[in-house]
Amino acid sequence: MNILIIGNSAAGTAAIESIRKHDRQSSIIQLSDEAQPLYSRCLLSYYLAGSIDKEKLLYREEGFHKEMGVELHTGPWFQVVELNAAQRRVVCDNGRTFNYDRLLIAAGASAKLPDGMPNDKGIFVLRNLADVEAIKENIRDADAKRAVVFGGGLIGVKAAVALNMCGLRTTMVVSSKQVLSQVLDYDAGQIIAGQLRENNIEILQPAGITEIISRDNRLKGVKTDRGQLLDCDLLIVAKGVTPNIHLAQAAGVAVRRGIVTDSTMQTDHENIFAAGDVAEAFDIAIEDYTVNALWTCAVQQGRIAGLNMIGKKTDYNGAIGMNSLNVCDVSIISFGVTSPKEESKYKTLVLNQPERNVYKKIVIDGKNHIKGIILLGKIDNAGVLLSLIQRKADVSAFEEELLSDRFNYGTLLKYGGEKELGRYYE
Amino acid sequence: MKKVYCKIEQCLACRSCELACAAAHSESKNLVGALQEKEVPRSRIRVEFIDEKGTLQRVRAVAIQCRHCEEPLCEQACISGGIHKDEKTGDIVVRLDKCVGCWSCIMICPVGAIVKNENMHQALKCDFCPDLETPACIVACPTGALVYCEPEEMAKEQL
Repeated sequence: MNILIIGNSAAGTAAIESIRKHDRQSSIIQLSDEAQPLYSRCLLSYYLAGSIDKEKLLYREEGFHKEMGVELHTGPWFQVVELNAAQRRVVCDNGRTFNYDRLLIAAGASAKLPDGMPNDKGIFVLRNLADVEAIKENIRDADAKRAVVFGGGLIGVKAAVALNMCGLRTTMVVSSKQVLSQVLDYDAGQIIAGQLRENNIEILQPAGITEIISRDNRLKGVKTDRGQLLDCDLLIVAKGVTPNIHLAQAAGVAVRRGIVTDSTMQTDHENIFAAGDVAEAFDIAIEDYTVNALWTCAVQQGRIAGLNMIGKKTDYNGAIGMNSLNVCDVSIISFGVTSPKEESKYKTLVLNQPERNVYKKIVIDGKNHIKGIILLGKIDNAGVLLSLIQRKADVSAFEEELLSDRFNYGTLLKYGGEKELGRYYE
Repeated sequence: MKKVYCKIEQCLACRSCELACAAAHSESKNLVGALQEKEVPRSRIRVEFIDEKGTLQRVRAVAIQCRHCEEPLCEQACISGGIHKDEKTGDIVVRLDKCVGCWSCIMICPVGAIVKNENMHQALKCDFCPDLETPACIVACPTGALVYCEPEEMAKEQL
């Protein structure tokens, strides 16, 4: 069988590994428009901050693709420009064509750029290794001193912290009334904003950028909708990502925000699968299909896609928003829906101990199932809590213990009975 | 593959395993020396109470450590590619030279077996004490609650 994989990141790699566990025979060809060796996108902010060197970005050892028997083609000229689903063939920018029996689209997502953003020197997104190299070069060569980060989500916060660590005076311009609004609730967002400010990162919110000021195509500053003029020689736009669905869409593969997949990560075309930031999968907390552009989800989806592509029928147990990050020495883990829209339908448990920088929140629905979790400052046993969401456990019997620092796997043994032990102690 | 198992009915929550584990993972490899080290070594096994009420004999506790899962979720969550299952031994191995301390493994481990070394930004967990013949926790357990055996042996005993 000929397997073709578009994309060389989390989902594509996981697919290769799961396929090769069972099948050394099938040919695997992998295409990527990024000319870089396989690296971890999530580590880019660490690399930008200077806390790890370039070598540490590598996600797998050199020689991984050879060992896995994968024919890898990388570079912008290997960007897939056409997919012909009827003939089971793709065409690359350089004209090369590849046929497949099974195709995995793991083409990821691209950073969003607001309309009208000029192409001036000093304006960047933070998505690829090439972006980070360009930002680093700008800091070094243009001797950048002042930075603005537009966006207060995960990438915005990580970018601001990294630039701050590089010694730039950094201002965040955040449109919503809190930072990390997709991940945290308002109160937790305020704690993190406080941490950022304590570390000399200025935050303007709610605020937008209305004008880019440039001289000779070089960024000089931005104007906010509050009328402020911020001098800066570096701007990182962190306004989220959009799945790279155009290729699939043009080929007639069903798409919504992302490529539509079923529980085996198959698209509406029998031989085409999708996984990772490009795909829409069922989310167990939201209870609907959505794109979770997250590393762990991408790995799990890639793994499931790989197995199903070689005929090992395996169902994905569903995605869930899950994030772990450290902001100025505060550890944060969050899962699922942390600020539900219809608040009255949910019970929320909150532990707020600002004196030790600890904030925990658990959102429970009418069926006593956990739907969302925020752990800030104390993240031990986060995965034990996650497992409760994933298996839709009724938590009414031990609700009071959920927020305790002493909540642990033993708590589940107490309330769930020792049958639980069988699950992981076999 | 052999794993560490805890027989709940025999665990007295004495925490001898925790001390032995920390010492075994120290520079000096002994408890007194370990306590004098700059970086106080951490135990990768943790005694947790199931029931605290009742007499000492009625205390029920469990020593929790990495289960070296068949399909390790920590490997899937690790953003640096620093966690993998050793194909020969089946052990789940954390490469500390790759670890950045993002705690994605803590985010996903369903038993809570990963320990933070915050100063070093490193995730620590049971490695079966590669330098020792038998893991230190097993040797230290005074009641025989901790055993190091094949799952089949454990299953037989539970019948």
